[in-house]
Amino acid sequence: MVKTGVKLIAKLVLCLVLLLILTGCSGGTEVNDLEIVILMGVEKDEATGDIQVTAQIVKKVALSQPSGDGGGESGKAYWNVSGTGKTVFDAVRMITHKTGNRLFVSHNQAVFFGKELAEEGLQEYLDFFLRAHEMRPTAMILITEVPIQDVMNAKPETENFPGINLTKLMKTYGFTSYYYKMNMKNFSSCLMCDSMSPVAPLISISTENGSRDINISGMAVFRKDKMVGSLSFEETRGLLWVLGEVKSGVIVIPSPEKKGLVSFEIIEAKSKVKPEIGNGKITFHIKIKVDVSLSEQMTDEILATEQKFKKMQNDIADAIRKEIMTTYEKSKKLNADIFGFGELLHKKQNGKWKIIKNNWEEIYQDLELDIDVEALIRKTDLLKKPVAAIERGNKK
Amino acid sequence: MFRYISRVIRYLSLKNKNENNGAVTVENNNEPICADLKRNLQMIKEVMRDSSDVTIHEFNFGHDRRFRGALVFFSSMADRQEIHENILQPMMFGSLMLKEDVDMDFTQVETIKRNLISVTDCQNISLVSEIMENLLLGATILLVHGSKEALAIKSEKRKTRNIEEPGTEAVVRGPREGFNEDVNANISLIRRKIKDPDLCVEKFVIGEKSQTDVYIVYLKRVANPKLIEEIRRRLNRIRVDAILDSGYIEQFIEDAPLSIFPTISNSEKPDKVVAKILEGRAAILVDGTPFALAVPMLFIESFQIGEDYYSRPFLASIMRIIRFLSYLISFLGPAIYVALTVFHQELIPTSLLISIAGGRQRVPFPAILEAFLMLFTFDILREAGVRLPKAVGQTIGIVGALVLGQASVEAGLISPFMVIVVSATAIASFAVPAQTDSSTILRYLFLMLAGIAGGFGIIIGLLVLLVHLASLRSFGTPYLWPIVPLNFYGLRDVFIRMPIWTLSRRPSAVIWSDEGSYSQGSGLMPAPPGKNEGNSERKERD
Repeated sequence: MVKTGVKLIAKLVLCLVLLLILTGCSGGTEVNDLEIVILMGVEKDEATGDIQVTAQIVKKVALSQPSGDGGGESGKAYWNVSGTGKTVFDAVRMITHKTGNRLFVSHNQAVFFGKELAEEGLQEYLDFFLRAHEMRPTAMILITEVPIQDVMNAKPETENFPGINLTKLMKTYGFTSYYYKMNMKNFSSCLMCDSMSPVAPLISISTENGSRDINISGMAVFRKDKMVGSLSFEETRGLLWVLGEVKSGVIVIPSPEKKGLVSFEIIEAKSKVKPEIGNGKITFHIKIKVDVSLSEQMTDEILATEQKFKKMQNDIADAIRKEIMTTYEKSKKLNADIFGFGELLHKKQNGKWKIIKNNWEEIYQDLELDIDVEALIRKTDLLKKPVAAIERGNKK
Repeated sequence: MFRYISRVIRYLSLKNKNENNGAVTVENNNEPICADLKRNLQMIKEVMRDSSDVTIHEFNFGHDRRFRGALVFFSSMADRQEIHENILQPMMFGSLMLKEDVDMDFTQVETIKRNLISVTDCQNISLVSEIMENLLLGATILLVHGSKEALAIKSEKRKTRNIEEPGTEAVVRGPREGFNEDVNANISLIRRKIKDPDLCVEKFVIGEKSQTDVYIVYLKRVANPKLIEEIRRRLNRIRVDAILDSGYIEQFIEDAPLSIFPTISNSEKPDKVVAKILEGRAAILVDGTPFALAVPMLFIESFQIGEDYYSRPFLASIMRIIRFLSYLISFLGPAIYVALTVFHQELIPTSLLISIAGGRQRVPFPAILEAFLMLFTFDILREAGVRLPKAVGQTIGIVGALVLGQASVEAGLISPFMVIVVSATAIASFAVPAQTDSSTILRYLFLMLAGIAGGFGIIIGLLVLLVHLASLRSFGTPYLWPIVPLNFYGLRDVFIRMPIWTLSRRPSAVIWSDEGSYSQGSGLMPAPPGKNEGNSERKERD
């Protein structure tokens, strides 16, 4: 009995030793064997109809230099590498012909599509980015007005990687609320619902000051999966007011006595949209509450009086109303329900929605918007009076 | 699987025992002492033939020098001054001055004890074997011609250390005294802190050759009688040659000898041991070692230190949470790092992954091998550092930190992140000294699991560990109490330490009865006068 016991123990020990030897052969991958992808771009070769995918890969060698604070003399810590194939997946796998390692796309920050491709329609290209299990549906979707290679090669000044820089750019849209981040998941769910039109940021390159910097130039508007036009900054904020996505930003209005300009910082904005189906007319009651602070006055008027505050609050409300109406007019022209009014009807009044669903495009042209903006100036920050010479006439 | 291994080991040990039984021969020298002094001395000389430190001093006494006596003692153990002043002088000179008409029969040792010598601790013995026993304990044997009895006089003098601050359990605030090797001094330290007649000190003598004194110290009517009975039973079954440290006792009486977790706690500090006794535990003190044992042990005791109670509860609670976290880090650190970098790269923030990838680019080994190398090196450094003399110890630190740490990173052998992880792990493991054994072993086991199966491996390992911990018992007390089984009152002193005036009940898993469950009154929270008065009476003590 003892002998069999010893044998069993020996077997167990052997098993444990084997497990130790066999480690690494069962599903794990060392970081050394991964190529970390931080940006991807999809283009179409017009001549052959092939798809070209460009991936921005972290150049680990550049980072491992003892002195290396990521780049140094060689300049770039990333490598843009492309592959061509019949489908997106085919093209992605072709990239490994050049890298020698597996592409690791979990950390992919954004996917670029060229403007031309977007105008043709994105539907066929999106599938891979949502189906592959390593892909994150939170990767952003960006439309470029310039060739993808140009955007990917624009090295940011404060970051080593354009990919990381873009994430920062997208996270901080709230400073102005002039653009909006859009990720794969939200974009495709907009695409898949009955009426809503997705929007996505438009990227271009600015060549001011001699350097080439990535720059956001507006928002691309889609109808179904095809890009049909774009929104300017103010128009985008008009959209965000309704969506309730305005985080902060600057509202500039003329001062009450029209002597100069006054800027307000948006502290908080809330919106509430309520559809109402009346006799033959569909009305959307949009109620917006916005708190602002007086952040700058480029005039020597004394603004801290009750009447002037009331006047300015009304002016702010008017400015916001104007922004929203401009955006609505634009969307009517593009025939794209970017506000998601149709979806709102779908949610709130499902029965009636089913009847009007098929005519939504015509109905959209003829909606009534009842915009009620309630603006409140909360504070004037550190100054109450303008920084201006006091009139000393009385003393002299 | 473990049950099978333990069965095999038990079988082997039983087999061994059966074989040994025949070989053990107990020398039974039950001969009585005879009246002839010469013969007795001859016999002692015979037995102690090879011990050169046996001193036999023959002398005559009585006013007419007609009585003959002899003192036998180990010169290495006995206190010569005491022998001279209190035994020899009274017998030789004191008896000279006796008037002739005082006719005392000094062939009876009882008469000598009562009339002549001035010592307190002596004992009549009548067997030769008893002579040997007492001699070896350091006693001085007084033999008188014509008497069939001898006197064993306690005159032992021991060189012991002073009471010093222990090296293992340093405190910033709290008593600094520590136990030393003299068990009597240790008991006196305990008695000085508990002045209560209920404090019991039960003596056992264990070790065929070492005859070591072992004491159970507990509070009657607080400690569970069944616990004490169980300790007595377990101590009585120990059959060994010698007990050189309380560690011997621990290994003979522990509940889970095959577990990597200790089920008996030890301490060098009287205040800590007294606190345990007051909570209803029993302490086991062993002569010749400063380490006292305490049973039963709960897992959470490893995270409670004396200072938790001596300082105010706020920082004490934070430090306790830090200790729990550092225990987790101490065995999970390298495992989690390996699991993340090899299996779950998508869980690491992008910028961090890029830095890790950059740091690892030149490392030729897989992450798990890298981790093993580093941990192994660290354990070598630690072992070397402990054993080396202090002067050389510093060199080890420099060689370890600079040469091995920095150079191996610069040479591209180890990635800088692994150095950070392993050092953090190493530091964390010292934050919980009571569980250093288990965390060191678990660190390697979990690293292996993480290398094989990543996060799944770690979770499986944690589950097995939890089941194992929940199955452990220490003298009938569930090891994970008060977490498993859950006891809300007990939780007051686990992850956070509630203020001392809320901890009025002793741990119920140690007491197991209503009697003696309160250690202090309720409503003792300090308050301005007049607010809480009348409430502060002590609620039924004992």
